Amino acid sequence: MLSQYRGIAPKGQLELLKILGGKLSGRSLLHINSTKAGGGVAELLHRILPIMTGMGIEARWEVIEGDNRFFDITKKIHNALQGNPEKFTGEMWAYHFEVNKRNARNIDLDAEFVFIHDPQPAPLIKFKKNGNGHWIWRCHIDMSSPQQDVSGRIMDYASGYEAAIFSVAKFAMLLPIPEFIVLPSIDPLSDKNRELTPDEIGEVARKFDIPPDRPMVLQVSRFDRFKDPIGVIKAYRMVKKYNDCILVLAGSPAKDDPEGEEVLSEVQNFAEGDPDIRILLLPPFSDKEINALQRLAAIVLQKSLREGFGLTVSEAMWKGKPVIGGAVGGIPHQIVHGVNGFLVYSEEGAAFRIRQFLNNSDMLTRMGEAAREYVRNNFLITRQVGDYLSICVGVENAGKAVIEIS
Amino acid sequence: MPENSDNTVGMDPPGGRFDFRECRKIIMATGKKARNLAELAELIGQVSANSIYHHTYEYFFSGHIVEYTNDFAQWVGGTLEARVLSENLSNIDPFRHTASLESLREELLGSISRYMKKYGDPGSVLPGEEFHFEESVTVVFPAGFRALNLAEFLMAIRAVDQQSIYYHFYEGRSRVKGGMDDFSKWVEDTLGNKELALDIRSIDPFMHSIEGIRTHIATFIENALKKEIEVG
Repeated sequence: MLSQYRGIAPKGQLELLKILGGKLSGRSLLHINSTKAGGGVAELLHRILPIMTGMGIEARWEVIEGDNRFFDITKKIHNALQGNPEKFTGEMWAYHFEVNKRNARNIDLDAEFVFIHDPQPAPLIKFKKNGNGHWIWRCHIDMSSPQQDVSGRIMDYASGYEAAIFSVAKFAMLLPIPEFIVLPSIDPLSDKNRELTPDEIGEVARKFDIPPDRPMVLQVSRFDRFKDPIGVIKAYRMVKKYNDCILVLAGSPAKDDPEGEEVLSEVQNFAEGDPDIRILLLPPFSDKEINALQRLAAIVLQKSLREGFGLTVSEAMWKGKPVIGGAVGGIPHQIVHGVNGFLVYSEEGAAFRIRQFLNNSDMLTRMGEAAREYVRNNFLITRQVGDYLSICVGVENAGKAVIEIS
Repeated sequence: MPENSDNTVGMDPPGGRFDFRECRKIIMATGKKARNLAELAELIGQVSANSIYHHTYEYFFSGHIVEYTNDFAQWVGGTLEARVLSENLSNIDPFRHTASLESLREELLGSISRYMKKYGDPGSVLPGEEFHFEESVTVVFPAGFRALNLAEFLMAIRAVDQQSIYYHFYEGRSRVKGGMDDFSKWVEDTLGNKELALDIRSIDPFMHSIEGIRTHIATFIENALKKEIEVG
């Protein structure tokens, strides 16, 4: 499995995985989350499990089961932790605990390293047998401004773990246990990121009527106000006074999100009458199409006003495109301003940087190459697996600032 | 955060080949964050030496723009927009404090204190833009390259990951007594090439990206190799 990443991931990342594989081979590692399909966590686990087992680690992935009532509660927990107020009763918390208790009876929790992902299965820590493995709570969500009563409950559970992992320091909560930061990653072998043939790219260009001879400015995102699609169109219009380009806004229609439809219709109305604006509604799992669009683009935008980590930035950068991104969420972790892209704070800022790129192809190429290398060094899945396994070694060597392995 | 030692990491056995190593930084959140200069100073005074080390020495670990030289300067300049102070902080050389991180902490605090006396507090940043204090655990491992002579050394310098260049060129200074990088020490002690060692030491660590450092070292080695093979 690791050999597939040779020549793609940095040699050092693969060397580290080889060494960690030698150290952890034959040892058991268990991931538990709440779904096998849908969402970034499941997507990540689908991809890291084969890498870990390919290294000789006895890695398993279990999913907790629950009914609609349970998942309604966990959805509310998720929303409240991200700062959207929700009401909770003691009964709801009791049910959340009860369903976890039931799962603890059905799932084999015996492993040397146990990674519990997100708040849904967090109460499982209460069913850890004494001395039974190193339990780590992996929180993928932004906990920077949570609803206090909800974060208090989750903190009570989290405090029972040996360590916690967050995606960015500012997403973390104050816990009495070591808190590691593991930035998310992309898989260069997935359909969304793998190399495409010219035929595959051409097919997508024809399908969406993308002209080969005009520069394309692209934003891939849900139709959500926080992604500022209207601001992107305004920036594009400022650019058009000076430079020729087309604008593509690509995203999936959010059928289960009434606001999504409202935003989409606002965007369609705002773009009406301009044949150079393409609003593409892609069905779920349009990974290859998104991959091709990012490769066809001259410049990629992620002009978010609020963002989680914003991995679409790394996805575009991996295709050698410098990204112009809003300086929010995880975007400043990916864009080194002026080196591999630009951080912007306004529509005018976005327009100015688009013009800068359109008028300076050398800079576009140079920063695009820097973008790809930055992702190669920092945002490939091989780095993330290395981080997780280094943390396994780290919790066994608690208190050490330097761990030498060979 | 390395501990000082007399050994140059990479030389194994001492006086023999150069074994390239590299490192990964596993970042840890401390939960401490500053919204303004007063809080920044207060927390710089409280956080662990590991955190001070992480925000100064390890700044060079990530791809950075050659404008600031540590995380504090970057936040003060880029977010708080206190340009004078960001220039002052960027002028602090952590490698002059390898004997004691406490003196580095004092210099950072002194710089902030002088600025605040003269200009006052520039105010607080918006929620989400705070300075988050972090620590790190360093994982060190073989990079998969070794060199027995200068030609092999050149090939390896060109091929190793950026993290290996960082580990030997930057982190070596805080690990080896005398504040020298691992590369120049090996070139001098093992290969006996003092001129090349001085060339490598002449590279200003603040003024280049890691790729820039790699290019400079490779050029110096190439020149040294040319001299070795020139006849007459």
